Amino acid sequence: MKKIFHVTTFTLRELIRSKMLYIWFLSAVVFCLLSYLLSILSFGEVHKIFMDLGLVGMEWSGTLVLILSLAVTYNTEFEQKAIYLQLAKPVTRGEYLLGRVFGFFAVISLVVIGMGLLIAGLVIFVGGGQVTNLFIDSSVFILIEMFVLTTIGLAFQMIGTSMVGVVLYFMFTVFLGHCIGQVEWLLNQNLAPAVKTMLRIVHFLLPNLEAFNLKDRIYDPNLILGWVQWREVLLYGFAYSFVVFVIGWINLEKREFM
Amino acid sequence: MANVSSLKWAVPLTVIFFFTQIFLSSKLDHWVHPEPFETSQAGQLDPKIVSSLRATAFLSGYKVLIGHAFWIKVLQYYGDADNRVDHFAKLYDYCRLASDLNPQFLPVYTYGAAALAYQVNRMDEAVKLLQKGILANPKANNLKLMLAAMTYHNTADYEKEIPFLELQIAQGNAPTMLVNILANTYEKAGRVDDAIRLWSWILKTTDSDVQKYEATLGLKKLYAIKNTTPSEKVKP
Repeated sequence: MKKIFHVTTFTLRELIRSKMLYIWFLSAVVFCLLSYLLSILSFGEVHKIFMDLGLVGMEWSGTLVLILSLAVTYNTEFEQKAIYLQLAKPVTRGEYLLGRVFGFFAVISLVVIGMGLLIAGLVIFVGGGQVTNLFIDSSVFILIEMFVLTTIGLAFQMIGTSMVGVVLYFMFTVFLGHCIGQVEWLLNQNLAPAVKTMLRIVHFLLPNLEAFNLKDRIYDPNLILGWVQWREVLLYGFAYSFVVFVIGWINLEKREFM
Repeated sequence: MANVSSLKWAVPLTVIFFFTQIFLSSKLDHWVHPEPFETSQAGQLDPKIVSSLRATAFLSGYKVLIGHAFWIKVLQYYGDADNRVDHFAKLYDYCRLASDLNPQFLPVYTYGAAALAYQVNRMDEAVKLLQKGILANPKANNLKLMLAAMTYHNTADYEKEIPFLELQIAQGNAPTMLVNILANTYEKAGRVDDAIRLWSWILKTTDSDVQKYEATLGLKKLYAIKNTTPSEKVKP
């Protein structure tokens, strides 16, 4: 545990030194201005629009930090061979990878929570509005999604042979992960059996990111969000992350550093 | 060298979690989409644009964001004076698409229905839009009040229409257009003093230059009516 903690703090420091937190400032300024502009342009429900766009901003800024972190660390760890120093220490590759996952997630959490607090603060103290419980729930769902995406990104980093490849695989996975929500609908349509089988395999392999997308259903009167849903979403996030983590770990073990 | 054999213990766990995630993913799909999404017709809008927009919204995971952005497009359409030529023929289709993308955003229904019913006089479309809004938001009382007000407006029963409009405005978040409609309805019902009071209040409180201009015109007209003696009224 101590070794994992050391890798985590090292990763956290490394990413902060890489100026990843500047993205938080940039996202905060851009999204707050955009949200403000859109909320004054449309008539009524200013706080609602501001919070909706704020949630989008939280997700985008988290994803942006993750993509940039993957690109930056691929360059330092694999291309500049900094991983040699890490693996020369008495740390197993599994501990190293787990520490990386937690380190990445810590930086992303700082950005996402920072954005959330800023949005909530502006709504409460400047706009005089209220922050609903579902806003907080949606923010936690974004954090769970970010954890899953972090493990996926790092697994790709262990598999990939170039920085561009890692970033592209990751971005496609994020896009397809949101499309998965409609695969179930497609499976109920009149399609050829071969297409259905292929869709079913895609459905099994890709992450179902719509399960974490509470922000699009935050005002849905039919939304049920109880302990059962929380448990299922958390378990799904953990199960998927575990599988992806093991795949990443196997690839790291197989990788030869000459 | 590779030490994959030390990972043997993780294989059964990975298999268990792989099947767990498949099971939960399918289960959560039903939670995410309890009903299949409604596919409304493109109407007078370009079907390619409508289908691209809907696909982007439903597949990207940013339905609400695209809904808000499209709502600005609806307002731009309504604000464009060139579209007055065909009496904002596409307004209903625009509002319908905006409500598909963001069904819980009430201004789409209140603003859209008010514009359709009171500005371009297409009551049936306004009623359809409100009915859709009420079905999507059963707890939104202001939509029900608006529907009731419109029904009375359609039969020119202004005295019955006024309380519904007053109640809706008193609830807050009513479009400014609806306040103007109430002032005009007071005038139609012959309640000149109430109309003067409301236009004066609008003139004092609004930040919009257009609304200030409308309020000034309304007051000018109403004071002229009020100061006109019955004998002058019958003059040609």
